[in-house]
Order: sequence, then structure tokens, then C-alpha cells
Amino acid sequence: MNAIEIRGLKKSFRGMYALDGLNMTVPVGSIYGFIGENGSGKSTTEKLICGHLVKDAGTIKLFGKDYTDAGVRVKVGALIENAGCFPSSSIYTNLMMQAINLGISNTEEEISRVLKIVRMEEHSDLKFKKCSLGMKQRIGIAMALLGSPALLILDEPINGLDTDGMRIMREILVDITKKYNCTVLISSHILGELEKIATHYGIIRQGKMIEELSAMEMDSRARIFVSIKVKEIENAKKLLQSKYKNVCIVDDYIRVYDEEDVEGVVKHLLDNGHDVSEVKQNKVGLEEYYIELMSKKEEK
Amino acid sequence: MEKNENMQFESPTFTQRLKGMLGVDIYRLFHTPLFYIFLAIAAIIPAMIIGTTGMPGPNGEMTEPLFTNVWQAIASDNPLYVVSHIGQYANMNMVFIFGGIMVSIFIAHDYKSGYVKQLFTTHPKKQDYMMSKTIICAFAMACMCITYLLGSVLSGLLVRLSFTVNFGSLICALLGKLIMSLGWASLYVFLNIIFRKYFAISIASSFFFGTGILIIGAAAVVGNSSILNIFLYGASVSACLSSGLLSVITCLIVSVSWAVIYNTIGTHILNKSDVY
Repeated sequence: MNAIEIRGLKKSFRGMYALDGLNMTVPVGSIYGFIGENGSGKSTTEKLICGHLVKDAGTIKLFGKDYTDAGVRVKVGALIENAGCFPSSSIYTNLMMQAINLGISNTEEEISRVLKIVRMEEHSDLKFKKCSLGMKQRIGIAMALLGSPALLILDEPINGLDTDGMRIMREILVDITKKYNCTVLISSHILGELEKIATHYGIIRQGKMIEELSAMEMDSRARIFVSIKVKEIENAKKLLQSKYKNVCIVDDYIRVYDEEDVEGVVKHLLDNGHDVSEVKQNKVGLEEYYIELMSKKEEK
Repeated sequence: MEKNENMQFESPTFTQRLKGMLGVDIYRLFHTPLFYIFLAIAAIIPAMIIGTTGMPGPNGEMTEPLFTNVWQAIASDNPLYVVSHIGQYANMNMVFIFGGIMVSIFIAHDYKSGYVKQLFTTHPKKQDYMMSKTIICAFAMACMCITYLLGSVLSGLLVRLSFTVNFGSLICALLGKLIMSLGWASLYVFLNIIFRKYFAISIASSFFFGTGILIIGAAAVVGNSSILNIFLYGASVSACLSSGLLSVITCLIVSVSWAVIYNTIGTHILNKSDVY
């Protein structure tokens, strides 16, 4: 059984298709990183799953049931765009309202539990409007976690946060995914952060899913490369290109792809009079994989 | 948390869903200042009307008192669909105008804060939302009617107005007005659902319909006819100091009928359109 199964989903706004036959499969228990450029349809998909928008065509199933089924919906938590709290009410009051809505019996305990997860237990009396952006996002996650959801949908939870806010948010997300076994659909532009927690990825472009793969598949597809820093970078590149197939310059470093013999590459440079100041062996990360995939699609 | 693979999804019943939604609205009503502000407004209105009636004019001349009896601040002596002067508007029906503004603010906060997203992400259906908002707003307006009554009685005592009345008719008039809260609430919830993206329009439309301007136009054509009772304003006016049980039944039928109509159409609109 999949947590989310979408087939042929279409949604248009004023005649323009935001989603054009989207297919998506999120396995139960996975942390699904949903990736795509601005306007690709990530938020629209998430809003449709949450029932905020009305679909034009297609099917959405959550845990094998239609997405409108109240039994499934009661086990969905979401943070879409903002926390959805009343600004003049306290954090506690906002959480209490959602707890009542969900029909939770032990409201006090449940509120304490979610506040502890998001590290906000000291601030429950604070008015929502007095909170910082990072705190507001954490409260949004606390709202979504009420009632122990089976599916958590997070739309750009890290965006706009400062370094410290991002660190805390990442720790919370890791906590949630490791300690509390729920399926998480998370969209983010910060792919480096996503890479640390996601078990599956879905890459969307112009309203269509262009690739879905697991983190393991991603890892096996990721190309290894040797990264070298030299003084005369252009000359060194030409030299390496005469011996190796895939050589390019990225951020002032020469990269030699699909080459495991690091010593051989360095020796070749040194033998030809180049000063090598730094050598690293690495793998193509999610961000580079994504950029590569996008550029291939654009070429087509 | 349970393992996803072993999860059982038990659908909450309609009663459970409505109980949850009503619980949220009741909690919110009593934990935010909006309700208390409008209760105070409802109490102050009759005090201002009764307190200033019959006061000397700018040149010291004595004006004719608007009311000779305190209960006239609650309802007119007879159904007045066509009024001859603005003072005849001054009765408990004004609560429904202010109630409209309160409903607009109450619902607009749901959308402005984004809280409505939290609601619809989980199990409540659009029908539950419409019903819960109608019930809670009707309750709030009925409370406003009661504070209006208290304000009238206290002010009447202070200025020593007459309290002579046919008690049975007064009870019928009060019951009629309280029952009409449901009809008015359903109209305002409906208007605010239609104009949910435009707060200024929703509040203006609530005020416009709350004053009964449309029925006043109709009344100018058909006169003081009981046929106007089929409208919310007409039924509200019919609950007067000469009314009886028939008036209460009229108010009940009209209020419930309009509530059903507005809720059905409102639910349909919500189901067919995006939340925001």
C-alpha cells in the first residue's frame, strides 16, 4: 500500500494548466522529497492532496482510500505556506482549537507532547503574532503533528529561515522522521538539507512528474568525480581532457568524472608541471543531479 | 505513533465531525474579545436610544419621545414593514445588523489567518463548516439579543419609562427575534462564503442585507402586507408587541427554511471552489 498514489492529476488556473496529468507514488513510511523549480506545481499538488483546491481530473488516493475519506483525512497533518494560526491568540489556544477539531481527548498532554517535539514548550502562552518566522514554522509543524498523523505534508518548511532556524528545523524534522514513524511529503528548494533526510525523491517540471526514485537509486546513479584545485586551471583542463573523457570546471575546481584512480590523475598533472593545491574525491549530490536532469530536459 | 502499515482508518461520524467543528467555534467565540465587544455593543445601543429619547433639541425645544414604553425598544407595536421615520427602525432588529458585522469578522479571520486550511486538511467537510458557523453565529446573535434586552430594561428603569405590556405578546416577540437569529446567521455565513476573498465586500453586503433595504423596496409596492413575512426581515418585523403564537411559528418556519436553503447552496459553492 502506498501512502499517496496520484494518477493523471490535472489542475488549471484561468485556463493555464498548473498540473498536467501528474502521477506520483509515495511509499508508506518514506520521507519523500518533492523537488521542482518555482511554478512547477509542487504547492498545487500538496494543496490538492490537502483538499484546499478542487481538481479538474485524476485520482488521489491516500493509504488506498479516496483522499476525501474522513477516516484518512483525520490522520493527515500539513504545513502549507504558513501555520494557519490566529495571530492574536496564544500558541496554546491555537493548538487547543486544532486538538478539539481532531477530537483528541487528552488535549493538555497532546499539546505538551507536540510542543516538546518542536522545542516550544516554554512559549505556549506567547501570542502567535509575537513569534519569529522560525517559531511560526515550528508551531505550524506542531499543529500538523497533533493527533499523531500517518501522513505529514510540509511545504517549504525551511524557506526564509536564518541559519540557526534552519538548523533547529532540520533537527526537528530528523527527530520526527526517526522517532515517529509517519510518511512525510516535504518540498524544499534547499536540496542539500533535503538530501540529509529523504528516502525517496520526486522531481516535477511544468506540472508533470519527470522522475521518481529512491535515495538508494539516486546513490547508484550518482557519478563519482575527482575534484582538483590548480593554479592554471584552463591549461590543466586541456591537459586532462587529452587523457580523460569527462573533464569540466565547476566553481574554480577541475572535475574529472567517473574516475576512481585519484593518484593517477594527480600524477598526470604533477608530471606536466602543474601545482596541485587541493584534491577531493566526491559523488554528484542531489542538487547537481537535479540541475543535470533539468538541463537535459531543457535540451530536449 | 503507530506503524503506518498496520493503521486502521476509522471514519468519524457526522455527529463527531460536527461536534469537533462546533467545539472549535465555541472555544474560539469565548476565547477571543470579538464576541464580548459585540455583546457590549448590543447592550449599549438600547441605552443610547432610550437615554436620548425625548431630550431637548439644539434650541432647547422638547422633541416628541421616540418611545413611551420600554418594550417599544424591543419591537414595534405592530408589524411595520414600511416605516414613516428612521426612529421606527430602532428596535431589536438592529442586533441583526451588528450581528452581520460580527459574523463577517468571525469568518474573515478563518480565511485571513489561514486557519481554514488546517480545518480542511483534516476530516471536517464543507457542510460541517457551514453548519457549525451558522449554529455558532446564531447562538452569538441570540446572546446579543439577550444583552440588548437587558440594556433596554436597565435604561428603561433609569429614565423611568412605562413597562406596561401584554406579557404573552412580549414573550412571543422575544422568542420570534431569538429564533430569527438562525435565519440571519445563515444569510451572513452564506454571504461571507461567497465573498470570502474580499472582506470589505462581505462586510458591506452583510450590512446592506441586514438593514432589510430590499424588503423595504418591496414593501413600498405591496404595503404592510403579511406576504413579506416570507423574508428574513419581514418575519423579524412580524415578531412585534401585538404578536402571538402564530408569529413565533412563522419565524420558526422562515428561519429554518432560509437556513436550509443558504446552507445547501453555500455547501455546494464551497465544494465546487478552491478554499482560497
